[in-house]
Amino acid sequence: MGWLLAIPSLPGLAFLALLAMPLRLRNRALWIPVLAMVISAGLSIAAFLQVWPGGTELTSVVWNYSWELAVVAGRPLELGLQFDAVAAVLLLTVTLVAACVQIYSLGYMHRDARRGWYFAVLSLFTSAMLTLVLADNLLLLFAMWELMGLCSYLLIGFWYELEGPRKASQKAFLTTRIGDLGLMFALGVIYNAVGSWEFADILGSLPGWAPGVATAVAIGLLLAAMGKSAQVPLHVWLPDAMAGPTPASALIHAATMVAAGVYLVARTLPIFEAAPAVLQATLVIGSITAMVGGLLAAVQHDVKKVLAYSTISQLGIMFMALGAASVGAALFHLVTHAFFKSLLFLGAGVIIHSARTQDMREMGGLAAHMPVTTATFVVGSAALAGVFPLSGFFSKDEIITVLYHGHHYWAVGVVLLASLITAFYVTRLCFRVFTGPEQIENLHEGHVSMVAPMVFLAAVTLVLGFASPGFAEFLGHEGAWPALSIATVSTLVALLGIGLGWWVYGRRSVVVNTRAYKQRMGLTYGALVQKLYFDTVYEVVFIKPFMLTAELFAWFDRTIIDGVVNGMARGFVLLTSVSWKFDASVIDGAVNGIGTLSRAAGGRLRGLQTGRLQSYQRLILAAVVVFMLYLVVKGA
Amino acid sequence: MRVGLEAFLMLAAMLFSLGLYGAVSKKGAIQVLMSLELMAVAVNINLVAFSRFVTPLSQDGLFFTLFAMVISAAEVGLGLALVIAVYRRAHDSEITGLNELKG
Repeated sequence: MGWLLAIPSLPGLAFLALLAMPLRLRNRALWIPVLAMVISAGLSIAAFLQVWPGGTELTSVVWNYSWELAVVAGRPLELGLQFDAVAAVLLLTVTLVAACVQIYSLGYMHRDARRGWYFAVLSLFTSAMLTLVLADNLLLLFAMWELMGLCSYLLIGFWYELEGPRKASQKAFLTTRIGDLGLMFALGVIYNAVGSWEFADILGSLPGWAPGVATAVAIGLLLAAMGKSAQVPLHVWLPDAMAGPTPASALIHAATMVAAGVYLVARTLPIFEAAPAVLQATLVIGSITAMVGGLLAAVQHDVKKVLAYSTISQLGIMFMALGAASVGAALFHLVTHAFFKSLLFLGAGVIIHSARTQDMREMGGLAAHMPVTTATFVVGSAALAGVFPLSGFFSKDEIITVLYHGHHYWAVGVVLLASLITAFYVTRLCFRVFTGPEQIENLHEGHVSMVAPMVFLAAVTLVLGFASPGFAEFLGHEGAWPALSIATVSTLVALLGIGLGWWVYGRRSVVVNTRAYKQRMGLTYGALVQKLYFDTVYEVVFIKPFMLTAELFAWFDRTIIDGVVNGMARGFVLLTSVSWKFDASVIDGAVNGIGTLSRAAGGRLRGLQTGRLQSYQRLILAAVVVFMLYLVVKGA
Repeated sequence: MRVGLEAFLMLAAMLFSLGLYGAVSKKGAIQVLMSLELMAVAVNINLVAFSRFVTPLSQDGLFFTLFAMVISAAEVGLGLALVIAVYRRAHDSEITGLNELKG
């Protein structure tokens, strides 16, 4: 099955090909990454069909390929790829979503001056995610993890001429970097304990680990996953990441970036199970994230921000499933969420493209102008809200079931509450955007290259839910249709949320004045609008002291270090000026003085040399007289 | 009254001074030459006087004076020849114009 190698490498090669091209050619060669992605998606379907009927064990490796990188202290350090059921599912999801996003981007980015570079990074991003999914060891996973961090940085800051994207890209990079520290820490501890980074070795030797090791590793891995998958309190980068191009957001939110964190925990879940406290922490963090994300999504006016916080909330629910030690439920929700959330983002892209604004308060009545977008967007929204029979309903129910069977009854309540809020804000979004009075002129449906991927994703969202038992069975769990009682409760909750949303936003066909609600719940609303003060707290706790420290160091540099250097320089200048004065006055003075003296003496003495013999005679006479006088005086 | 050595020496000194004055101050080359002769004569008087009063028995001084007179005659011949040569060159016999040695 060596052709599996082509799945991650085709987009990677497309990236390299585009990288080598000059700007003009790159912008015209967009068929290369799209074609590579579509072929990759086709191969992924083939790969999935290879394992589909099997469904024996979650971790049974179907295909393995590794090459020796180096020998470290006598132990071989191998990098390798492996293909199993989990990898197959994620490969399929990632490639399908990425292919849809790329085709969609053809329409969305067709006027951008740097679209070639955009497609190149998109390809690299996907390639990194695919390699990460196929990696059979933590080292390769870590490398791809960092590569994705870089790609998300490049995509979020794609319009780097503007300040918003620039700052958002740095924020995303730095925030996820905190999580990466956890992964590095876990890598170190694991190598120390096991001497290998291969999943098989790590999980195989797990029973023999010292007591604290599993906990330490699990904490590191959890931190890493929290950064990458935007869990509270490291979620702050994700809403800001909306500054990037909308299709890139779709990719980040659905297929690549945020899925990596969930995938990492799913892969290493046995380590978490060996550290029950950390597993419990995962559940709690997931619960908090689910609630925080949902509440914040309900007060956003920016269409993309609503979806961003919704992603945070859904990722929280996935983490809750992981916290209940259920890989199957988490991954199933990851897959369904990938499809409907990318669908929603692509729809939001069409809306923004057409409305030229992201603020839903300025929209309204879009349904009449863009029927296909409206239909697909509503399908995605309904899936997000958990309406039967869409995919979101099944995956969310599975998580509730898992939590229920794990006796985490409070967590069931959290998921239901989060579902209620989700249904509410999704309804709010739909009513505000698609119904009500029109406020924008020249609305138009998206280009066919943008609409076609959305229709495809909507179709997947419609049917994927029915794969629920099959999916669970495929991943090695005993699967079943959702229990009727739980399904009824969750459906009621979803309907309640939708009804609430309709009551507030859809009942009258006028622009809803929410000021009354804001005034009635001033404190709560204020806290929510301020994003529950996360950014504010970070500003005060981390950024301000950091800046202060930086200022302090800058001051130290400016005054002490610069002072010493400048002082030395100034002293040297002083020294040279003294030396110059000594040279000019003493040395030159002596030389010039001797010259002047001899010149003056010469000038004086020249008067004696008249050339007349008689004057010489007179001199001789005077000399003789003086001599004689001397003799006479001396003699006397 | 007997004339003593001092009178001769005084005469010689006066002659020498006159000659010296002339040699130093006269413009004409001939006059300077004559002044030089005066000084030579003063020396000769000294020689004769010392010979007569200091060593009366020996005739050395007298003969030495005769030689000196002959030599000064030759000197005058040479000096006059030089004066004529200078005159031919500068059409002037005044030595004040002869300052080519001036530095």
